[in-house]
Amino acid sequence: MAIIHPIQNIVAFGDGLVIFAVIKNVILAYKRQDTGSYKLIGKWTDQYDRTESIKDKVTKEQDRQIDENAKKQKDNEGNVVIQKKKTEAKIPVPGPGAPPVYSCIRNLLISKDGHKLLSCADSDKSVLVFDIDLNNDTNCLQLVKRQPFPKRPNSITITDDGKTVIMADKFGDVYSIPTDGEPLKDINDELDPILGHVSMLTDVLFKVDSHGKKFIITTDRDEHIKVSHFPQSFIVDKWLFGHSQFLSSICSPLWKSEWLFSAGGDDFIYLWDWESGKKLSEFKYSDIIKPYLTEKHLAPSRFQNESNDIIEYAVSKIVAFSGIPYIAFFVEATNILFIVKIDVENKKISESNTLELPYNIISLNTANDNEVIVSLDNRDSNGENFVKFVKYNSQSCIFEINEQKTKELDACFDTLKNDSNITVEKENIFPLYSTTTLRKHGEHYS
Amino acid sequence: MRAASGNMDPNSKRFLYRVNKEENRKELKHVKIDESSIIASDSGNKSKKNKKNGNKMELPKKKYYRQRAHSNPFSDHQLEYPSCPEDMDWSKLYPAFKDEHTGEMTKEVTIADIGCGFGGLMIDLSPAFPEQLILGMEIRVQVTNYVEDRIIALRSNHAKEQTYQNINVLRGNAMKFLPNFFHKAQLSKMFFCFPDPHFKQRKHKARIVTNTLLSEYAYVLKEGGIIYTITDVEDLHNWMVKHLDEHPLFERLSKEWEENDKCVNIMTNATEEGKKVARKQGDKFVACFKRLPNPEII
Repeated sequence: MAIIHPIQNIVAFGDGLVIFAVIKNVILAYKRQDTGSYKLIGKWTDQYDRTESIKDKVTKEQDRQIDENAKKQKDNEGNVVIQKKKTEAKIPVPGPGAPPVYSCIRNLLISKDGHKLLSCADSDKSVLVFDIDLNNDTNCLQLVKRQPFPKRPNSITITDDGKTVIMADKFGDVYSIPTDGEPLKDINDELDPILGHVSMLTDVLFKVDSHGKKFIITTDRDEHIKVSHFPQSFIVDKWLFGHSQFLSSICSPLWKSEWLFSAGGDDFIYLWDWESGKKLSEFKYSDIIKPYLTEKHLAPSRFQNESNDIIEYAVSKIVAFSGIPYIAFFVEATNILFIVKIDVENKKISESNTLELPYNIISLNTANDNEVIVSLDNRDSNGENFVKFVKYNSQSCIFEINEQKTKELDACFDTLKNDSNITVEKENIFPLYSTTTLRKHGEHYS
Repeated sequence: MRAASGNMDPNSKRFLYRVNKEENRKELKHVKIDESSIIASDSGNKSKKNKKNGNKMELPKKKYYRQRAHSNPFSDHQLEYPSCPEDMDWSKLYPAFKDEHTGEMTKEVTIADIGCGFGGLMIDLSPAFPEQLILGMEIRVQVTNYVEDRIIALRSNHAKEQTYQNINVLRGNAMKFLPNFFHKAQLSKMFFCFPDPHFKQRKHKARIVTNTLLSEYAYVLKEGGIIYTITDVEDLHNWMVKHLDEHPLFERLSKEWEENDKCVNIMTNATEEGKKVARKQGDKFVACFKRLPNPEII
């Protein structure tokens, strides 16, 4: 039986008034009504057909080969014989055993002014820029730019003025493109990366320091956090050294802009002053999470030991509450949300709370001043528990689920069950847990 | 031991040679060799030739260190690198430059040979810059072992004069981990001698000079520091010149400058690759660039 696909990513804007969610290759937009209920106000489906681009590629290669052969073939007088194209290039189709191609949408980001939504589509490895028009209730999302790249975009950020998207890719390169204007046709020939690592990039952040200078912070699979100037990205300012495993996520809180929290495949959350380059504090989460780890966290068999007890785990996402000194994060393939208090005066990560949710957490984002929003792997829930709002209750001083809001939003998703773009057979659910695979095993010796 | 054993026949000459050398290396890699230690340290290596040459330690033989010519800089190798420059224990590589009383290093590395190969450049640079520490970085295991053994032998054979104490080699991936070893503006010279040309278009990111990597080289180089490049592949030479020219933090040095620089001379004639090219009467293309000061931050 087909079920509604779990929500891969969800973000909120304007005090939780507007919600954007990704299901498979669809972006959905919801607006909260005066009654408290949410109404669908926008939808965009990635209908990119890859056969066109494959055809282009194959034809180009065919032309190149004909040119190459032509150079070698000469007639009796020694003149070059130019061959005519005989047949049209065949477009390859994946065979029955080929691995499935998922046309995922990843990353959701709203510009500071709330006028633009940014995202990335796996189908053609592109960055998507949408205009958000909240007065247009029939479809508030207008795709204004689709820029394909040679390698898959892994993370994006936007400058404060909303004019430039900065994209970090799977190959280690960072590109900067304007949010408006025509997309470039052949990016390899027209655009150079503005900076790069010789490692897969996992997160990127645009920051302005206390003197008004702009920076880009990038993280990679080799424990590196690099701080570069912007737009003079050829000047590396510093590295923040300390992690002993890959990085997966960084965030910088609104209430302390020179601070940076980082997390990944090792046992610690680090707090940095990225302006001075100093590590201020660390928090070991591994002992708390270990009781919740399952057989899903066993290392892949080729990296496993004889007693089959090597576990591998990683933080997938870390975010800061926007109005209170707390950060939230979760370990991949667990249902535990960590909420950690920050002692701002003493520059320390202090006590932590954990909140157990009904299913594994897939995505986490800040919703408003004292609230975060998570989406859950609710494949076994019979159409419930898509999302949870988690709110700080200032009376009881605890974090709890905002039941009312959660219920209203959850109800919206249930109405999608007849939409074939959004439903899926359970065994065809997109890969939701891929952070841990970033771990290096050093399997190459020579 | 894995690197030495591999899939090799355990009775082969090469295998036995490697095992012997590996033991020797473990013992000698980090010791300060003085004259008294030479006889003892060379015990594993007594050949007829050895006796003929008195106490001279035999230089390693390249044929026992064969391995594939290339190593993929993007794959996950078993590498050792410090978590940050402060964590690097340089005294193990340059024991003669460790202050006995404070335990601190008296000098830091200022010259780096990236992809040093069999180490010929360092060995010629060593007497030319006796007051500077020179580090070779090489990603191929056996080649690194060869250079280590070569330096051990040279140090031991010159124990009296205490030469070759200022050079050493590290197995590492300089494209990924250079900032783990060197802090900002530490280096005064970086050498890129006969790097892997990576002819295919789609492999160009694997080249050692790219616009994005140059920013990292600029970070570890001090103002006025110099990048030396030499190659026998004209296409690669043009590529390196193009990228260095385009980079705002580098400026090309003139032909006259090259002619008067002793490193250019050493680089052109000393390296194994350089000699090989000369034997084949091939061309050598040289380009040197100076690290400019950072422009005003906007």
